[in-house]
Amino acid sequence: MKDMKKLIQIANIVQTALVNLHKSQYLQLLKQIRDLSSLLKRLSIEAKKLGFALSRDWSLAADRCSHALTSVLDELAYVSPRILQRSKDPRHDVPKLAFLVQELQQLQLEFGQIAFSKENKSISVTTESIALGDVYLGPFSIELQLDRLPELYHHSVYRIVALEPHPAACDIRVTHPHVSDEKLCEGDGCLAIRKALEQGRLCDFFSLVNSILTNYNSGSPYVSLDNWEGTACYECGYTMSSDDIWHCSYCDYDYCEECITSCICCQEIVCTGCSVECEYCGDKACHNCLGKCSECDSTCCIKCLENDICPSCKEEMETQNEDQEQTKQESQEHNLQTPSTS
Amino acid sequence: MKVMYINNDGGGFADYINVSEGTTVEKFFCENMSGREAQDYLIRVNRQPVPKDYVLQENDRVTITPTKIEGAAV
Repeated sequence: MKDMKKLIQIANIVQTALVNLHKSQYLQLLKQIRDLSSLLKRLSIEAKKLGFALSRDWSLAADRCSHALTSVLDELAYVSPRILQRSKDPRHDVPKLAFLVQELQQLQLEFGQIAFSKENKSISVTTESIALGDVYLGPFSIELQLDRLPELYHHSVYRIVALEPHPAACDIRVTHPHVSDEKLCEGDGCLAIRKALEQGRLCDFFSLVNSILTNYNSGSPYVSLDNWEGTACYECGYTMSSDDIWHCSYCDYDYCEECITSCICCQEIVCTGCSVECEYCGDKACHNCLGKCSECDSTCCIKCLENDICPSCKEEMETQNEDQEQTKQESQEHNLQTPSTS
Repeated sequence: MKVMYINNDGGGFADYINVSEGTTVEKFFCENMSGREAQDYLIRVNRQPVPKDYVLQENDRVTITPTKIEGAAV
């Protein structure tokens, strides 16, 4: 975008955004001072109560008032230094239009070209294709949202958009080890990025973000490069290489070896979700190798079922039969021993 | 003489500092970024890349930006 007129228009919008940012800093300070003012009012009320209690010799009431005063004073001691510090924070003048135009021109030199969206009020630059280790991540668009600049101290005011997404296998939101949901975790660059934006040093801002994107911090990524490729286990999300994938033929998903089992009857590979525990032996079986006991309706593997009866019911039936046999035998013996009375 | 020095390393820093007449960019870097490697930084004077033997002038704007910054996960 070499048109000087366009650059001036963009610089104007940037300047307005910076004015709003500076205003928001003062508004924040004003809010804190108003909160401090409320605290002082509370202090005054508690002090009056204490005076009233003392005038009536109400010592218990005076004790309570004293506690309340201490609580307010504690709060004041915590809040006041922070407000003081904020009021002393260095304020930078809003940069002049010429400065911002120079920033945009330098941005063009450093990044090749810049894009401006009137609709989103955003300035974007595109990085070169990024590869970290053996992992290709593609180019990214760094999109600074000018309307959001006043929120600089509370939210991210820019997005990192993957232009050729190659996200982590276990989480598609992570398009870069330090980017999740298009938000960059700035790590060591946080303060410098904030300062650059406060002072309208746009080129420095984009350069700093680029420096984070082109570097890998193995100590604190959303997803490490070691776990970037591969297939995610459908159950637990663990990322596996192609050699370590187990496939469940029932649900047709891929699993890691921790989330897979084999049917105790047919030895078919089945995931823990598609397998059922036999209520008798406790082993896992696939749906094809399960049945229901016709007596107690329990679910058992076909190894345990015999004629659709589970071992527990079978044992019970056998015991009942034995008892019946014994009773019958005892009855017969009794009949033989008792003489006829006719 | 005074130059505007913007150091984007660490917490960020932008202010005028005094430098001796005849100070080259290389010397300036060594004095203000001792222990660091110049190849790990983007060094611009008045928004332009300059050779390391460029001699700084009054009111020059020197920016030093690291090219390797460690990001993190929240």
